[in-house]
Parts: sequence; structure tokens; C-alpha cells
Amino acid sequence: MNKTEYGVAAMVLAATLSMGGYVPEAHALRGRGAAFVVGAAAGSASADAANANAAASQQQAAAAQQQAATAQQQAEAEKQKAIAAQQQAEAEKQKAIAAQQQAAQAQQAAAAGQPLPAGTVVDKLPPGCTPTPVGGKNYQYCGGNFYEPVYEGSTLKYVTTTPK
Amino acid sequence: MKRRTFWSTAACWALGLSGLCLGPAVSAQTPAVDPVAVQKLQRMSQFLDSLQRFSVETQSTLEDLHESGHRVDVDVTANVTVARPNRLRAMRTGGVMDQRLYYDGKTLTLFNPAEKVFATEAAPPTVEKTIDFARETIGILLPAADLLYRNAFPLLSQDLKLAVVVGKAVIGGVRCDHLLFSRPGADFQVWIAEGPKPWPHKYTVTDTSSPARLSISTLLSHWKVLPAVDDALFRFVPPKGAQQIRFLSVEPARPMPGK
Repeated sequence: MNKTEYGVAAMVLAATLSMGGYVPEAHALRGRGAAFVVGAAAGSASADAANANAAASQQQAAAAQQQAATAQQQAEAEKQKAIAAQQQAEAEKQKAIAAQQQAAQAQQAAAAGQPLPAGTVVDKLPPGCTPTPVGGKNYQYCGGNFYEPVYEGSTLKYVTTTPK
Repeated sequence: MKRRTFWSTAACWALGLSGLCLGPAVSAQTPAVDPVAVQKLQRMSQFLDSLQRFSVETQSTLEDLHESGHRVDVDVTANVTVARPNRLRAMRTGGVMDQRLYYDGKTLTLFNPAEKVFATEAAPPTVEKTIDFARETIGILLPAADLLYRNAFPLLSQDLKLAVVVGKAVIGGVRCDHLLFSRPGADFQVWIAEGPKPWPHKYTVTDTSSPARLSISTLLSHWKVLPAVDDALFRFVPPKGAQQIRFLSVEPARPMPGK
């Protein structure tokens, strides 16, 4: 690949990635991109030629652009479809993330040293807890919270509490 | 069940196409509940009922759904000792988990040696009732507990919509009959040793009530009939410095067949 081909390839890539959203030099990018796509079947030499033609003649470039517009619209429709599917997947993912965040919130708040309401269950003790016996019972104290170990089912967890 | 139907069913299972293939197999002229499969299940159950004291090693894989939507397995190994009617001990050792469960006829204790914490609750008077209590009240699932019940057969065979002898399989070096049963909400498979001692060597329960169709699968090995068991084995004595903690009351665990 020579330098021009790299340039065209990069532009096609950029155009593919940013189609519709890319404003500066939109004409040049789309024109060349389309020319490359049209000429792709014949090989990169024809793309090179199309590129040269486009550069040489504004009119030719405009014609190529017209031709490209149809192909682009088609591509755009495909892309919108893909985006819709992606958005749906993203929404699902966001939902899962939200649930995860909610679960992690207590843990984070505890780690950040924020006092938690009594009875908050965390999987792990926040870092830097110190064993603190109160009234003959062993607690862990950190971030303004007293924690006591408990079994949730057969899993050992920690719950915030107020020592008596 | 006709031979052809049988093999197509077996092939479907082998290919993981149960959902597609089971329909035709069930609708064949032969009954969906094969009495031979039910008899084999009953024979295993009666054999286990005849044991007074035994131990077994279990390796369970609990399929779970991660918050991300991906399936994640949890593996638990345990050595279980039962002395009927009212002694049970389960040692979950090796790997990341070191936890011991003791039932001495009066109390149930869970102990984590690494963290030096334990919790004790008053327990019902029999192994069977204590298994229920552990699951429903505390949220502790015992591996393959369904098979540890005395007189498990009526519970296992309740509401059966399908019973099939899938074929033969070798589990842990032992040639077994592979059986499949289905009831509303759950499918279960049992692999039972051929020959005069029908030990169960694998037990898989699949939750069919949710689209995820998650399973709990347990391999059972090193079955031993024990002539006598020292009572001290089931009694928990807190080591020096161990801290008593409590069980949080939790939602009842997912019910399993046999209950």
C-alpha cells in the first residue's frame, strides 16, 4: 500500500465509523469513501484513480457524490437498524449495571467511610477495620460503623449494628 | 418405550436438544412414565433407607446467574456422614471453602474454622426434619439432600410427568443406569450403580420453572457403610477463642424435588 491508499483507507474507516455524525470535511470524506467503495471490487488501483479524478475535477467529484448518496442512504438505514439493536442491548446492560450498582452501593459507601443504617449487610469488611470489643462481643469498627459477622444462609457476611 | 423412540430421546439428550425432541417422545403411544425407571428409583431409595450409618463424598456444582446475565458456577465439595435417625455432619473442606455443619440430634451448628466463628440453632429431632429446617429457616442447602431423606421415594416419585431410562453411563468409574424424571417445575436425573448395591453416583436437578433452566448437579463418591460412628463426631465443641455469631433470617431457599 502506498501513502495515498493508506489515506483513503483511513478515510473510509473514519467515514464508516462516523457516518452521519462527522461534519467537517464531510463532502470530501464521503465522496472519497464512496468512490473507494464503488471501486473496491475492481481493486485499490481504481480507487486511487477515482480519488485522483475527484481531486482533479469538482464536477466529477459531485457526480460521484450523487451516486454515493444512494449507497450511503442504504448504508445509513442498515446502520440505524444496527444502532437500534445496539441501543436495546445497551438498555439491557444498563439495567443489569444499575442492579449491580445498587448492590455495590452499600459496599462503596462503607469503603468511603460513610456511616450506614444499622442492619446493612455487606459481603466484605471495608479496608482498615479494627477489632473492637464492646460488652464482651467482638465487633469490627471502621468508617463510623460497627460490624458484626453473621451467616446469611451458609455464607459469612457482615452487618452494621449498634453495640449495646 | 419403543426402541426407536428411546434412541431418538437419548440422541436428543446427547445433543442438548431436549426442548425440541422431548415433545415427540412424550407423545408416543407408550406411557411417559416408564415403570422400569420408577422401579430403579424405588430400588435405590429402599437400599439407602436400609442403611443405618454411612458416609459419602459429594461434589456439587450450583449454576447461578451473575448480575451481568452470564452463568457462573459455584462448586462445593463436602464429606457427609449420617447416623440415623438424628446425627448428621457435613465437612466442606478443600479449595476456598472450609466450613463444617454439625447436627447432634438437638442443635445445628455451622462453623468457619478460618474465621473462628460459629452459629448454633436448636434443631428438630430427625435428620430429615433438620434438612428441611436448614433449608427453609436458615437457608442452608445440603448437597443432594433429597437422597439423604429416609423414605425419599414417595417424595421423589410425586407428580411425575415423565420417567425415562436414558441409558448407561460411567460415573466416577462406576457403571450406572441413567434415569430422567420430570415433574412440574423441575427435572431431575439420577445415575444409579448397576448391581446389588444401587448407590446413586450423580444427581442433577434442573429448575424448569424459569427460562434460565439452572441446575444443581452433585457427584457422589466413596460411599461407605459405617459399622459404628463415634457420637463425638457430630457434636460441636467451640475451639478456644471462637466467636458465636447468629444466622440472619433469610428467604426460604429454592425448593427441591423430594420436598
